[in-house]
Amino acid sequence: MRLANVFIRSLAVQGAWNFERMVGVGIAHMSEPLLRDLPGGESGEAYGDALRRSASFFNTHPYLSGLAAAALARAEIEGVERDEIEKLRKTLVGPLGSIGDRLIWIGALPIAAAVAIALATLWPPALVPLVFMLLYNAAHFGMRIWGLRAGWENGIRVARALSSRGLKVLARTAGPLAGISVGFALPVSAEWLFRGWESLDVVGALLVMALGVTLVGWVFDRLDGLKFGVGAIGVVWMLGVLML
Amino acid sequence: MDPTIPALLLWGMFVGVDLVSFPQIMIARPIVAGSVAGFITGDPVGGIQIAVIMELFALEVVPVGGARYPDYGPATVAAAYAVSGSPGVLALGLATLIGLVTAYAGGIGIQIVRRANTTDVERCRSRLDSGDRTAVRGLQFRGITRDALRALSVTAAGLVIGYAARQWLLVDVGDAVLLTIAAVGASLAAGLIGAMKITGRRSGVRWIALGAISGLIWVNLL
Repeated sequence: MRLANVFIRSLAVQGAWNFERMVGVGIAHMSEPLLRDLPGGESGEAYGDALRRSASFFNTHPYLSGLAAAALARAEIEGVERDEIEKLRKTLVGPLGSIGDRLIWIGALPIAAAVAIALATLWPPALVPLVFMLLYNAAHFGMRIWGLRAGWENGIRVARALSSRGLKVLARTAGPLAGISVGFALPVSAEWLFRGWESLDVVGALLVMALGVTLVGWVFDRLDGLKFGVGAIGVVWMLGVLML
Repeated sequence: MDPTIPALLLWGMFVGVDLVSFPQIMIARPIVAGSVAGFITGDPVGGIQIAVIMELFALEVVPVGGARYPDYGPATVAAAYAVSGSPGVLALGLATLIGLVTAYAGGIGIQIVRRANTTDVERCRSRLDSGDRTAVRGLQFRGITRDALRALSVTAAGLVIGYAARQWLLVDVGDAVLLTIAAVGASLAAGLIGAMKITGRRSGVRWIALGAISGLIWVNLL
């Protein structure tokens, strides 16, 4: 039951995200139900000390926060030396961020989005968000549940779970799969958006696209797609206003 | 007042909070936020069209750590409102512009919330350092409440701009088509740049090319 409580709290791990402790406060909020098992319970000195340590600086991918919170809480309950717990805390930051970013932000999210974009061209609008949510959250909740279990089962030895071969293969293939998916979605969505357009309009849009990729990708480091979009639409609009 | 506004405000608040604070199930993605907003406004086709355009822009964002990134959820809700009821592709360009500006403002709002959270943590430092769980709970509650207010404000601002654009920014048919051409072209550029960011500009191009060739074959077969 307590792990279920930690899981629900993990959904709000970034609720108090701040520049001083990043997700530290969220990790403490997650760990708190597990720390009640420490000697003396909620009013004990060990509980207060462990909660204080939990609330200090920590950063991780939010979906792997359960792994960190459960592993650190397990280590506290097993009476592992404070130095060892601090060492684990520092060691987890880099790998958890890197694995989470590769699997979710660079993998599952763009893949699910690309599939949804492609399906939007074929299916009724009501089904598209449902398919996206199912696809994406299968990976999302799968990762959260795996992380929480791995952290709780392994405690101070949680690095073993992170060095599994399956995780490495997934992390290596996520980027290429996302590239293929988004690459597929681009011409499919373009054809859908261009439907009913004059040939000259299509050429115009492709020219804007080429200009955008050149300017954002190769010329201006600080320019991004959003700013280019605002600029492109804004310039066309201003030209229209001036010509009236 | 348009009767869909309260529902859009509520939906915009939920999708805005979902992005970072709770529960990150990605209703914040434009493909979800825009599709649902399309149903709320009674224009599901316009909703899914603007959702796809905004999703292509959102593909460029990799929300790592404390990085500053736009909030496309409430922005797409506002854009779906702006596009609703317009025939064909006429309002897509203007709605995209409204969406992009709102997304940028939403990103600034996220930074403001984070700074407010940091001040709150500084104020609660002694209680946190004594292991006080009520301090932890309070910080979580206030942080999520701040984010909800931010998302609500951003959605409201986007809807006001959308309403004003629908009422007073009279764009003739020719200009509306040109705006849509610019919006669609820019969204495709953002999608391609996003793919290059995800896979790596050099080594990843082959994967994007493989996908694009498959997509072109698919388009020509259908």
